[in-house]
Amino acid sequence: MIKPRLGHENLGLGVGLRTVHFPHILEHQPEVDWFEIISENFMDSAGRPRHVLEQIAERYPIVMHGVSLSIGSTDPLNREYLKKLKTLAESVNAHWISDHVCWTGVAGRNTHDLLPIPYNEKTLSHLVKRIRIVQEILERPLVLENPSSYLEFQDSTMPEAEFVCRMAEEADCGLLLDVNNVYVSSVNHEFDPVKYIEAIPAPRVVQCHLAGHTNCGTHLIDTHNGHVIDPVWNLFQLMHQRTGGVATLLEWDADIPPFPVVHEEVLKARKYMDENLPLPEQSHSEETVANPSSTAIPHPASFIVAEVE
Amino acid sequence: MSNESRNLDQLQRWMQTVISWPAGVEAGIASEAAQAKIALESSELETVVTASSKQTSLERIGIYANAYYARLLECLSEEFPALVCAMGKTAFGAFSMEYLQEYHPSSYTLCDLGANFPQFLRENKPQTEENEVDWTDLLIEIATLERVYSEVFDGPGIEQKALLTEETLNSIKPEEWPEISLKMAPCFRLMQFQFPVHDFISNARKGNTPQIPEQQVTYLAITRRNYIVRREAISQAEFFLLSKLQAGLNVGDAITLFAESDLMEPEELGLKLHEWFKRWTTAAFFIDVCKP
Repeated sequence: MIKPRLGHENLGLGVGLRTVHFPHILEHQPEVDWFEIISENFMDSAGRPRHVLEQIAERYPIVMHGVSLSIGSTDPLNREYLKKLKTLAESVNAHWISDHVCWTGVAGRNTHDLLPIPYNEKTLSHLVKRIRIVQEILERPLVLENPSSYLEFQDSTMPEAEFVCRMAEEADCGLLLDVNNVYVSSVNHEFDPVKYIEAIPAPRVVQCHLAGHTNCGTHLIDTHNGHVIDPVWNLFQLMHQRTGGVATLLEWDADIPPFPVVHEEVLKARKYMDENLPLPEQSHSEETVANPSSTAIPHPASFIVAEVE
Repeated sequence: MSNESRNLDQLQRWMQTVISWPAGVEAGIASEAAQAKIALESSELETVVTASSKQTSLERIGIYANAYYARLLECLSEEFPALVCAMGKTAFGAFSMEYLQEYHPSSYTLCDLGANFPQFLRENKPQTEENEVDWTDLLIEIATLERVYSEVFDGPGIEQKALLTEETLNSIKPEEWPEISLKMAPCFRLMQFQFPVHDFISNARKGNTPQIPEQQVTYLAITRRNYIVRREAISQAEFFLLSKLQAGLNVGDAITLFAESDLMEPEELGLKLHEWFKRWTTAAFFIDVCKP
């Protein structure tokens, strides 16, 4: 019998830590339940980013979220990278380490994108094997996020939901269920997002992601640049009912507003978590955010700009 | 070929080639590199990537291709804002595209993406008359200094270290001075440029559009205090002496070489040395004294 959230704590409602918010967080110490960091932005840092993180980690629970593990790649795992990941996790007392069900590059390259893999028996076995190795190195279960994607392969023989469920069970890892990604992919690949959420093994869900996206008319792009739209909140509510509540985090990575706006957005989740509270008036439908002329691109990782006097 | 018969490695190498092909997805599919992995015509793309009811397979893989250069170019623009200002967005974009093809991104961190950009610009500098300094040298120097700023900003610093004080220096006996050497701060850099690029960069980073500067040999001491990169224009004489100390020479040997350089009259040097060491210590260029 698997414990809910694989035994991890429900950390509450958190916010993705972004450099533009450093001064606000340090000065105001906002009442945020926890922060998620992009691991790669801190694992080599010996400057201000790491210094600020250490201060934040003294006050708030930290979770590490990576974008370069490339668990689906056919390149060998980068053991030096994994070693640094582990060291950082120990130093900031990270509650868990997550990354994505994807590959980021092959032949020694990194596209800095989260690229999709075909979902079939061979790729499942490839991922499961690599997840087990990573978990042995990190000495903790890995938590993997369902990706948002813009294409599917002819080589796939099973739906993503089935692949993700079997991967989690066979590799004995946790899941980071990004309900916005489920929604984005469901529109792009024309599947039912409710069935996806219902198929996920609830006790393996350790964390949930919320975010905004861009509607380009023929498809959606996971841009993390705005409010969470109503259909995504509805999926969140379903996820909450199924899991009984997991650590939930809002990602806002482009056109980032002041910290209180970002924090307020994730706090909206409370109304979808408590059945005694009236549901908020829904105001962000897909139509209201549609922008067919958008040239939006996803930004899985971000660059930290040097501060010079 | 369908379902699971295609090797994952083959598929990934094909997809990476196609989405990073500079001339676009169709040219990428037709390229020798992609054909060597999966031989197909653009019209046969559906045998690899499925279509949706709203998008063709070409449009779907095109989303990744459009994002590839756009994302990396955006990242380079953030690291080299003054270079964008000096070159203009179009030229910067064109150079970045070339750079990304010559130096494929390979690191797990975007912090390394621009590491070879100054080197790439140097390698691709048009031939000029010997020793002639021109506009392209300015661009290379801007790129070099902006990259140094990134490295100093996030590299090892001195914020958690006990700093060398004026009192420590004063406690050194006069007869000990020639034999001691100084340990420089790990974030300390000495740089010489043909243009005052530091002013240009500071102006551009404030959002201004600075005038292209006239050539003027410039010496800079760069370090980091309180996690902020500091840069200071120094004289040629200071640069000379600091570079000898940075190379590990003891104070006596460094001063002897300095005296031989004719950069300063001996009487003036005597006066300046005390002032310089005091200022360099306050600025934390050194973190320790090493006695033999």
